[in-house]
Amino acid sequence: MSARGRRIAAVALKRAALGVVGARFGLTSPARRRASFARQARLACEELGPGFIKLGQLASVRPDIFSAETVFELEKLQDSVPPVPVEAVRRVIRADLGREPEEIFASFEDEPLASASIAQVHRATLADEYAAVCGGSLSPGTRIVVKVVRPGAARTIEADLQIARRWARRFSRMRSLERFNLEGFLDEFDESLHSELDMRNEGRVADRFRFDFRDDPLVLVPRVVWSQTTRRVLTMEYIEGWRLTDITEAERSGVDAYGLAVHGANVFMRQVLVFGRFHADLHPANVFVTPDSRICYLDFGIIGRTQPRQRVAIAQVLAATVYGDADRAIRYSAELGLQIPKDKEIAVRDHVADLMSRTLSGPGRADVRGFAIGFLSMLSTYRIHVPRGYGLLIKALVTVEGCAQRLYPDIDIAGAAKPFATRLIAREMMRPARLQVKLPDALRAAMRELAE
Amino acid sequence: MASDEFMRLLAAWALVHETADEGWKAAVERGKKQESGEMEEGAEAFVDGLSAMIAEEKERLKAELASGAVEPPGSRADLSVKLDELRFEVSELRGRLESMQASLDALAPDDEE
Repeated sequence: MSARGRRIAAVALKRAALGVVGARFGLTSPARRRASFARQARLACEELGPGFIKLGQLASVRPDIFSAETVFELEKLQDSVPPVPVEAVRRVIRADLGREPEEIFASFEDEPLASASIAQVHRATLADEYAAVCGGSLSPGTRIVVKVVRPGAARTIEADLQIARRWARRFSRMRSLERFNLEGFLDEFDESLHSELDMRNEGRVADRFRFDFRDDPLVLVPRVVWSQTTRRVLTMEYIEGWRLTDITEAERSGVDAYGLAVHGANVFMRQVLVFGRFHADLHPANVFVTPDSRICYLDFGIIGRTQPRQRVAIAQVLAATVYGDADRAIRYSAELGLQIPKDKEIAVRDHVADLMSRTLSGPGRADVRGFAIGFLSMLSTYRIHVPRGYGLLIKALVTVEGCAQRLYPDIDIAGAAKPFATRLIAREMMRPARLQVKLPDALRAAMRELAE
Repeated sequence: MASDEFMRLLAAWALVHETADEGWKAAVERGKKQESGEMEEGAEAFVDGLSAMIAEEKERLKAELASGAVEPPGSRADLSVKLDELRFEVSELRGRLESMQASLDALAPDDEE
């Protein structure tokens, strides 16, 4: 075993042992046991560095594989690592764009703005006018950011991935871990990593997102400078603003915090229900608020997709959740692939109704996060498989609530979504195909009434 | 007789329409009087609230139609959406080409001249 392999093994064993201690040697409730191991898993990722932090981040959007406790613990992982020397960054720019940064940009700052496991960001200024793909031109002197893939990032993460694969193969033979499909998860991680290492993918998604919301003056997405963008270098507009993780009370009071929080939720609904693609890696560090009261979206790493035929069912599930209608939520969840065995249907429905009344329609502010954790734990207890897209959507919805609460801590996101949900129901009721089915029945019923 | 039956059918249709219309107007009125949050107090309240919202939307639509802002499908507005989408795709393609050109220039800077 390599030195790195031994280190990973040592950290994993230490954290597993601490997990057992935290779970009081199995004498606590299953939820507490899961929470104890989830915490240790997060600490292990932090201890093992960038590759495992990325792995943990991907796991944090997969409630279909991992427990609700694990998913919500891993979302706390902060992808922030010490910067690489600027000379290494300059080498990448020289190799990919053929010139020194000072020859390409009007100015380039050696001090990094941010440094994460995959890329490092430096501020610069645009030298020449550039006609962006969407949203007009950027004039010379415009402040920009240059995001550069960290030299060696791929090699380091891939080496860890190889070790993780060997372990996954061994663990997959254990019956209790079979259902996690660890090898499949690592394949997906590999694919996602390669996509993230090619900066052009992020640029394309940003352009699409900007185009989708071109009619919305409150939504801002930085424009990409494609003539200075390559596989390892992404150049885009710099946006002045505050990250939701850093926004202070004074800054919040200077913008329409409540309006933006509600609008953020509506933007998410539009992504899911109208465009069929949504920012699934949304967390407060990826969202900015600008001084002129706009929301700016960054880092389009993980994108969720919905098919047209799923959108009606999603709309129904969302509306049913907002209105606390357990029956309707379960009925339409089945159309999204959530299969509840017949003998468990009544118990599940009662459980969901109880959970809704406690978390969503009880006194005080609705708690979407509490509902999601309870719902996913319940599915795990009943051993009901969560379809991947369904899990991704639940997780994204909770994150939307989290972002909205960072902006306006007292917001009741379920209450704020009611007008939108009502419009969804109304639109669904008036669908021509539905009317075609329902109207003859309604007419027959009316005639019967008249005949009496 | 057939013509009598036909007349009776039309009368029934008119009656259903009239009854529905009366019911609709009453629901809209009740919905308009609702306080915030009252709509959630059961199925009847929900239908009243929804009716009021639809009536509001109907008034907006009427105003739009009167101002000539609404155009039928396949109209200029429809075409403009399609054109926007096409323009975006072309711009996207230009972006890709610019990025490829930048990589190419970095590999073979002398070919620029």
